[in-house]
Amino acid sequence: MDNLALLMEGFSNALTLQNLLFALIGVLLGTAVGVLPGIGPAMTVALLLPLTYALDVTGSLIMFAGIYYGGMYGGSTTSILLNTPGESSSVVTALEGNKMAKAGRGAQALATAAIGSFVAGTLATGALVFVAPFVVAMAIGLGAPSYFAMMVFAFIAVSTVLGSSRIRGLASLFIGLTIGLVGLDGTTGQPRLTFGQPLLSGGIDVVVIAVALFAVGEALWIAAHLRHGTPATIPVGVPWMRKDDWKRSWKPWLRGTVIGFPFGAIPAGGAEIPTFLSYVTEKKLSKHPEQFGHGAIEGVAGPEAANNASAAGTLVPLLTLGLPTTATAAVMILAFNQYGINPGPLLFQTEPVLVWTLIASLFIGNTLLLALNLPLAPLWAKLLRIPRPYLYAGILFFATLGAYAAGMQTFNIGILLLLGALGYMARRFGFPVLPIIVGAILGPEMERQLRRALQISAGDPAALVSEPLAVVVYSVIVLFLIGPPLVKALRRRFGRGGPADGPLAGGSMDDTDGYGAEADETVEFDAFGTRTSDGSARVIRVVRPKVGRREK
Amino acid sequence: MTAPSTAATSGLRARLQGRSELGVAALLAVIAIVIAVDTANIRHTAINAGVMGPRVVPTIIAIGLGLCAIALAISVLRGGHADAEDGEDIDLSQKAHWPTVFGLGGLILVFALSMDFLGFVIGSALLFYGSALLLGSRRFVWALVIGILLAVGTFYGFVLGLGINLPAGLLTGIL
Repeated sequence: MDNLALLMEGFSNALTLQNLLFALIGVLLGTAVGVLPGIGPAMTVALLLPLTYALDVTGSLIMFAGIYYGGMYGGSTTSILLNTPGESSSVVTALEGNKMAKAGRGAQALATAAIGSFVAGTLATGALVFVAPFVVAMAIGLGAPSYFAMMVFAFIAVSTVLGSSRIRGLASLFIGLTIGLVGLDGTTGQPRLTFGQPLLSGGIDVVVIAVALFAVGEALWIAAHLRHGTPATIPVGVPWMRKDDWKRSWKPWLRGTVIGFPFGAIPAGGAEIPTFLSYVTEKKLSKHPEQFGHGAIEGVAGPEAANNASAAGTLVPLLTLGLPTTATAAVMILAFNQYGINPGPLLFQTEPVLVWTLIASLFIGNTLLLALNLPLAPLWAKLLRIPRPYLYAGILFFATLGAYAAGMQTFNIGILLLLGALGYMARRFGFPVLPIIVGAILGPEMERQLRRALQISAGDPAALVSEPLAVVVYSVIVLFLIGPPLVKALRRRFGRGGPADGPLAGGSMDDTDGYGAEADETVEFDAFGTRTSDGSARVIRVVRPKVGRREK
Repeated sequence: MTAPSTAATSGLRARLQGRSELGVAALLAVIAIVIAVDTANIRHTAINAGVMGPRVVPTIIAIGLGLCAIALAISVLRGGHADAEDGEDIDLSQKAHWPTVFGLGGLILVFALSMDFLGFVIGSALLFYGSALLLGSRRFVWALVIGILLAVGTFYGFVLGLGINLPAGLLTGIL
């Protein structure tokens, strides 16, 4: 196979001593920072981005791949040992993982999470190898109307499907688009929203936006409501599993991978839905359903695998279409942009060596992660006890450093503070942060595609629906918007269906080409999209107050 | 803006929360107006009078923000609200502690304004120290030592490891 030959070449590039060192540093730093409480994977990659400034493209992306997977793994360690997920995608892991840790089975929970992440990450990266060129081949033939439609789709998906409130999601999206508007218009050179400030004419550096929203916003929000006294963490030994644990884990790992990858690969993003689906599936299929809610190992193995598989899946739209659909992917696109590389279908033609080296280093990073994290787990657990004043002071320290280093401008720190206040407000009022960052990054690109589409047709808006894929995508968007309220209305009239009939109906789960899946899955996506967010929210609400009481 | 209080005063809390989020709706409306005014002032010369000028997208965004502001205001007045973000170190049962928040914001601002004069090392060490104290650290010496080590370590890490020169400020010639 052509792909495999290219991948082998990627491996031979990535497996130099220097690059292995970069991967190792990336994995170690990513895990160490990601494990710190309050720091999710997106903040990890945003804070560590400046470290890659001085490296060459290949070295920097290899290190970044390590940081990416390390940050994700660190997040799941936190949720298992502290019951306090740093990102919404590890919420489900915390449900059973923390119960296991409390019951003295923390080592097994960490082991099944680590090995499950490895299995899912490796299989899903393998799927990426085969799916990505296929998507590229299709994407090459697409014109501006299709790109524009897919961006609108990504916007609608991140702002209305995830999160609890559509109005707030859309408001976040428009705020993000506003931030993206600042600067000189790409085509006509007209200043927009620069208020005569020359430092704004280049636009606001997206690194500053990401660090402000994720790091400063979070630190300020936590500072306002800082819980006094460090929450109890559970000490843990080196992770290991008994034969019985292996037996109960391997199927959930595989099922989690199958559920997670397609959800990551369609440009709708988010690991919330697949992790929750995996949880519900495992609960239904388990021989020990009575253990769920008291620390069932399947409930850790499945969602963790789904989480990692969907993270690898999000690389499909990111690398092939240039569409970031999760916060972490949004920050990753910055890592490319700082070298003037734009992810998209052309990337595979213009920079094949780079792309395949990156994919090879994902495999390497994943393996290093497993080899390092099993023995180092007790050390990571100690990091959870870092005194909170130092932790959040440190986050502010590195956030200001990152903003300053992005352009060597103190002006950036002012922007950082302003957008940090925005991040605070978002957290205070339950506005999702993801649409802001996706809007800010994709907004200018969307305007470019819209212009191109209209230029070809000399201004006739009918050009926007001149490609079949665009029509399909717009229909899917309409289903997205009408579907959930319709389902809700129907359910109100006819009563509730069984809570778990959705995930089992996942007939198209192995349809991983991204496009077919997109069209096929919409129906299910809609049908239980709302159910999922309702359901997971309810579970969280049940779990959280208990924690509060325990800790008081 | 008001802080969420305990569930015991949920009636009052809901009313206060509703009222404070109206401020967010107002902010969205203000941003929409700012974009509209700014867009109206874009000079639309003949060269860029092609198919889609620089005004189209800002206009759409301004309208979208305006609609969101109205929808949000209506939703809030009808009692709708979203939950504030919870997390491992967050205790939502206590009110927002504004002195800490504004203190931290002030420290960042001072750090930015004094960067050229004090330099990165002194400024960031003070930023760390001040933040740690504001966040409740009472180990006055330790926090300062950590701050200095962090600042000096980062400075040399950037200069030697990454080849990026951070401003030395007052310590020029010493570092």
